[in-house]
Formats: sequence, C-alpha cells, structure tokens
Amino acid sequence: MVNIVINGRKEKAKEGATILEVAREKKLDIPTLCYHKDLSPFGACRLCTVEVKTNGKWQMVPSCNTPVENGMEIATDSEKVLENRKAVAEMLYYRYPETEAVREMAERLGVDVFSEKGEEHDCILCGLCVRTCKEIVGVSALSFEDRGPERDLEEPRIGFDPNACIGCGSCAFVCPTGFVTMEAVDDKRIIWNKVFQMTECAVCGKYFAPEDQLKYISRTTGVPFAKLTTCSNCR
Amino acid sequence: MDKLEFSSWNGKVVDNRKGKAKKASRAAAVPFPAPVRGEKAAAVMGWNGLVVLEPGADVPSLTVQYLKEIRKISCGECSVCMIGIDMLLDIFKDMADGEGFESDLAEVEKIVRDVAANAKCNFGQSALFPVSDAVKHYRADFVAVVKGDRKIDGKAYGTAVTAPCIEACPASLDIPGYIEYIKNNRFSDSLGLIRKNCILPGVIGRTCTHPCESACVRKDLDGSLSIRLLKRAAADFERKEKSAPLPVPSGAKDGKVAVIGSGPAGLAAAYNLRRKGYGVTVFETLPEAGGMAAVGIPDYRLPLDILRHEIGLIGDMGVEIALNSGIGKIDMDDFRKKGYQALFLAVGAHAGNRMGVKGEETKCDGLVDGVEFLRDLNLGKKIAPKKKVLIIGGGNVAIDCARSCVRLGFKDVEILYRRSRAEMPARLEEIEGAEEEGVKIRYLTAPLEVVSKSGKFSCLNCIRMKLGKPDESGRKRPEPVKGSEHVVEADLVISAIGQSAVIPVTASKKSLSVNKNGTVKVDPKTMMTSVEGIFSGGDCVTGPATLIEAIAAGNMAAEGIDLYLRGEAAGGGLSFDGVDLKSQRAGGYVVKEGAEAVPFLEMAKRTTGFGEVEGGFSHAGAMEEAKRCLRCYRVAVWEKGK
Repeated sequence: MVNIVINGRKEKAKEGATILEVAREKKLDIPTLCYHKDLSPFGACRLCTVEVKTNGKWQMVPSCNTPVENGMEIATDSEKVLENRKAVAEMLYYRYPETEAVREMAERLGVDVFSEKGEEHDCILCGLCVRTCKEIVGVSALSFEDRGPERDLEEPRIGFDPNACIGCGSCAFVCPTGFVTMEAVDDKRIIWNKVFQMTECAVCGKYFAPEDQLKYISRTTGVPFAKLTTCSNCR
Repeated sequence: MDKLEFSSWNGKVVDNRKGKAKKASRAAAVPFPAPVRGEKAAAVMGWNGLVVLEPGADVPSLTVQYLKEIRKISCGECSVCMIGIDMLLDIFKDMADGEGFESDLAEVEKIVRDVAANAKCNFGQSALFPVSDAVKHYRADFVAVVKGDRKIDGKAYGTAVTAPCIEACPASLDIPGYIEYIKNNRFSDSLGLIRKNCILPGVIGRTCTHPCESACVRKDLDGSLSIRLLKRAAADFERKEKSAPLPVPSGAKDGKVAVIGSGPAGLAAAYNLRRKGYGVTVFETLPEAGGMAAVGIPDYRLPLDILRHEIGLIGDMGVEIALNSGIGKIDMDDFRKKGYQALFLAVGAHAGNRMGVKGEETKCDGLVDGVEFLRDLNLGKKIAPKKKVLIIGGGNVAIDCARSCVRLGFKDVEILYRRSRAEMPARLEEIEGAEEEGVKIRYLTAPLEVVSKSGKFSCLNCIRMKLGKPDESGRKRPEPVKGSEHVVEADLVISAIGQSAVIPVTASKKSLSVNKNGTVKVDPKTMMTSVEGIFSGGDCVTGPATLIEAIAAGNMAAEGIDLYLRGEAAGGGLSFDGVDLKSQRAGGYVVKEGAEAVPFLEMAKRTTGFGEVEGGFSHAGAMEEAKRCLRCYRVAVWEKGK
C-alpha cells in the first residue's frame, strides 16, 4: 500500500493501481469514454485527465494510465481539472455532435449542446472493440488503420486465419456509441457486414452462438465441438 | 549572415521589428532549423517556435500551411490532437472566408493550450505552440485577414519532418512511423515503411549499431526504445507469416546501371534504382552476395539464410546479381557500349590493414588477417582449432574473430588491444557477449614483432601501453611504456586492426580521384566521383563504417544517379545541424517502464556452434515495446525566400 493525498484527503492505495482505479474505488467521479475495468487502459478520450503533484510540480496526467506513487497528491475536481474536462468534452462534441454518447457526456460536463438526442453512431476511436477482441476474446481481428483524422477501424478479416473474426459480437457489446452493430436474421448473424452461420442449441433449439466461435473455442481449449453445442441456459 | 526579424524559438522571444528593442539581430545566434546553403527562407515555423527572417514573410499563410502538415503526423490515437488541429484549421478557414472574428484569436490560443495539456504523445504535446506564437506576436496580420485586408495565400513552401531518432539514423528511417504500425498490429505496413529507407531490415535489425537508440528521448527516463529489435520484429513477422515480394517497378526507364559490389551499399542502390524502373546488374567478385554482411559478420550474429532471403527478394524484382564476376578494371566507355549509362562503385574495404610491426611480411602459417579469416570461415572453409589464439584489435572484426574462434574449439582465446576498454570501438553488446563466452581481453598491450622460424610462427613480442593525449579520433593516444617488452606465446595470431579499400583501376584518361588513405572522393550532394558517370559510396568512400551508413550511401547514390540520368539537380532542404531536437516547449508525464526483454541462446549452446545468439521480440512483446514510443516528431515548414 502507498500513501497518497486525493482531493486533500490522506488515503492509502494499492501499489501499482491507477489513479482512476483508486478514485473509482473511493466513489470519486472521473468521467471516461474509452475505459473499461476489464481491459488495459488506452488513453484515447482524454476525459479522465486529473492534476497530480509529484516531485513538487503539479501536472495534468491521464488518470486511467497513471499508476499511483507513494506521496502523490491528486486533484480530481479542482477548478483546473473541471475546466480542462469541459474543454476536452467540447472537442469531442465538436467532432461527433450527432453521437448521443458524446452529446450526453458533453452536456454532463457543462458544454453548450443541442437538446435533441443525437441520431448518429460515430466511431469515436475509443479502441474498446480492438482491445476486447485482443484481450478478452484473444483473436485480434480488429485493428486501426490510417492516421489522424482519417484513422478508422479496419473491417476484420475472416477466413482460415489466426486473426479471424469469429462473430462473437463482443465488439458490439462493448461499443459505447452503437457504431458496431450486430443483427440476427433467422439462422444467421450479421456483423461487420459479414454473415455468420449460427449454431442451434442441442437442447432448446435456439440459435445461440456462431459456428465459427464454437470452432474457435474447440480449437483453443481442446474440447470437442460436439460438446459445445448447448446454450448457457440449458447447461 | 541573415538578419533576424523575429524569433520565438525555444520559447525565447527576440523581436527586432520596427520600434522593438534590438536583440540578437543575427540569425546565427538562434539555433533554429535553417535552409541548407544556397537556399533562402522568409520564415520558418517549427515545433519550438516561429522564426521570421524577411520583413515581408506571410505569417498567417505559413501558419495554415504548418497546420496542414502537422495534420498528417497526428496519429488519431488520442482525441485532442487530431480534433484540435482540425478546429484550428476551421477557424482560419472561416477567417479567410470572411466569416471570422477577432475574438477567434483567443480561441486559437486556448485550443493550443488544451491540446498541449491533454495530448498523449510528445508530438501532440509540443507541435502547436508556434501557432499560438504567431497569433500572439503577429496579431495585426491575422486581424487583417479577419477584416478582409489580407488573404491566406498559397506560397512556395518546404516541409521537413524529423525526430531525434530519425536525425541520428544515417538512412533517416521514419522510426516513430514504423513503430506506430507495430503498435497497431500492422507488421506488414511497418515493413513497407522500413523498406523505403532500408532494404535489409532483417540484417540491420540484428547487426545495427543503432545510433537512434542513443538519441532516443526515453534513454534518460527508463531506457531507450529497442528500435533495432522492433525492426527485426517486422522482418521476422514477414518470414513467419509468408514473404511478400518487393513492389515491381511500374514503369521501365531507359537505361541500365552497373553496380560494382553486392554489399549493403550496392544492394541498396540496386534496389532503389530498380524500384525507379532502371535495369540493374550487380557485379560481385565473391561466390556469395552481401559484402561484409555475408563474409564479415559470422552466423551467430546474422544467420546466412536471413541475408540470402533479403537478397533473394531484390533479385526477384529483376535485379541481376552476377557472382564470381569481379571487375578489376573499370572502363566506363566499355560499360556504356554495353548499355550501362552510369556505374556505382561499392567495393567496400576488404583489405586488412598491416599492423606495421617487424616480421609481419615474412610468410608464416600462424599469422592471418582478420578479414580474410572471417571470409574463409563464412565461405565454408574448414578451420581446425588450435590451443591458443591471439586477436589483435578492438573493433567488431576483432570481436567477431574471437567469438568465432571460441565456437571453432580454440581453447584459449585472447584479444590484445592497445588502448583501454573505454576506447574500444566494438559494440558494447559484442564486447560483453565475448566476455560471457570466455574470451579474455588484455588491454593496453600492442604487438612489436612477429617472430617466426622457417615459415612457422613462434611467438609475438609485445609491449605494454599507456594512454596519453587524444589523437584525431578523439581517443587517448596509446604510448609505449619503455622497458615493458614481453613475449606472448600462441599458436595463431589474427590481426584485426582495420581495413582499407582496394579501388579498381579506371581505364580512362581521367582516373578516379582518391584520398590519401585510398578511399574514393565523391561530391557529397550527388555522390559522383571525379569521373563522369561513375558514382561511389559505402566503405570504399568513407573507410570502414557501419552497414546502415552503407545502405544510406546506396540510397543517396540511387537518387544521385537518377537525377543525373534525368538531367535534373537536387532540391534544397532544411538542416537540423546544431538544433536541439530533444527539447520541446511542454511535455507529458511519462510512466517509467523498462524495455521488453528478448530471449538469448543458453550459454552451453552458444559456444558449441554458430546458432543465432540473440532472439527477437515475440509478436505481443513487439507490440508492448512499441507502445513506449513517445512520437517525438518535429515538423518544420518554411516559406521559401526571395
């Protein structure tokens, strides 16, 4: 455990924990768009910036990515931090004004926004889908391409390829803006404009997982495919 | 010397305009990136500030041009930099379209501050400050744009993009760029970018002396990026996945070029010329292509199949490589008759230097030249081990000989070096590797005489040295210690104290102009020798140097030959000499974490064979290491002067 001062209060924190983790544990509000507790931090949205004093100097740091250190002083709601947070939200709103997740965040942080809900579902380059596919699913089917304002997500490749999309839908689940969508049509799932054949549960007959996903699980765990064709409700 | 109108470089404001105090009126006093000799700049906007040299410079237009250029460098991984740059461009566009307000200028300064405070990498944290400097100190010019009294015009601009690592690299590879691709799991794209400046990434990723790592901003924080091993990772990935051929040239050019020597300089020139569409034939005297990379560097450092693979790709592009085809005499007219319009001489420096001691010239079986020793070994000659071997010298050739002797089964391997460890020119990793393998190093010892009897080597008379004042190389000069003569016994002595170039004779009225040490003289801008149509580069021009310098020379020569054959002259550019590339106006908080490690061959396996000692990054390890890159891109845009 290390000793820190957060918003003027002396606290103990686990060594190596990030400022964001410690703050959230203490129920302090730090907004984020690109953070998920089960994924490695990425630092794309920059909303989590807080003020930190180490070695006598106050600096702005991204709290999702910065580990606490012994003696660190942290300010998560100083005027400077709040002003900065609003400025970052304003920038995000400038680029994605029609995307509801962004509009809502900007409104919450005091930015002047339109009152109507956003109808768009822009990709805000948060990287949650990329990280999920790599760290949770283990397939790395998604990656960013191009740079700067032209940066966007590359359509995942599928096929007999170690980095093949298995149609699991984790990316759609984790996407904060609804950019990644998943459609179920009869015995098919459509995601990233690709069609996946769904497998039906051997017990209840419901379509519950793509064949490619079950084949992937079988390949990586060694469990025969035939033993995987039961949905979680029927197990 | 140019006069300085205004400078905010490094955050220090020097304003010599009408009515303001006269300070540092000479441009030379401010170390900003300046145009190369013969070129003029009206103003330069770079990452550390704005510098105005001519009173009529168009600062608002320069500012917009600068923003357009840095937009290409913004990577988009963090929101604020990519959005902020577009917000600024929108503001200036509105101003130019007559829809702007004076109050927008305060907004510009705010956006610059917000981006700098929140950006993720060194580039975003530093690049926008000069924009703020411009609106602050040239406010009247911007207000004139708002009022419609001034236009934002396109002028003649130059752009230069560098970084501390890029500037240190002799071949100017876009290092942050290829690391960025690896971070994004795009290894093939990374390799494509690397190949623009370095056609032997597998070779260089193993053997480079990596001056980039010495320049890395992270070096003083928690350790340099393992830039060399990241390059290797990109090359290894392609080998593991499947090899992609090099791009086929789109158009065929009229004309063939002859390349003499298939070392890194020759291969780099051949690749670049072929890529431009020229027909290329490489003439190699040895039975194996690759120059020093093939016959100098042993397999435990650079497996031969890696080099053969990369040379093979060049051959598949249509470059003809003729082995066992030495050119002893260059007759340019003869070459022209055969259709070659230019010739690139890249024969390297393969002749071992003489130690200059008594008894050296007497032929005896126990004295061999280091370069010859390695060449024989690498070309497959069987070398029977003896009990004791002495290697004279302290460079990479000496270490290569020593570590090879260990692997050949020599029981007692000792290096004699006339200076101390601090002056040894060999790569530190090599010296340490040698010591780990049991090689002994005797410092401050030099040979005096080679004693032999009837063609059989007897012993080496040596003398102890002490270090005196520095010589031309900057290292302390070794001076003999009187009375310290002693005898060192051995079965074999390998002399590895440097190499020289052996230049083919030219059959023409005008012969090749050479330096006193026998190296070829070339025009550094065009790479042409004193003979029209003959270009040269690599060790035969510089004396023994590094592989990456040779590749850089090959790249430059290909450019020079192409311009020559098209009848054009090289363009101007910006020089970063004397500019502190590491400094930036603001930085971010860097979380300390050391470099990723790579596996090494176990010691027991190392010394019993020539298997590769150093391993490479795993796929995931490379991506993790790539995340540490701070992207210290430095962009400079200048308005060309009158």
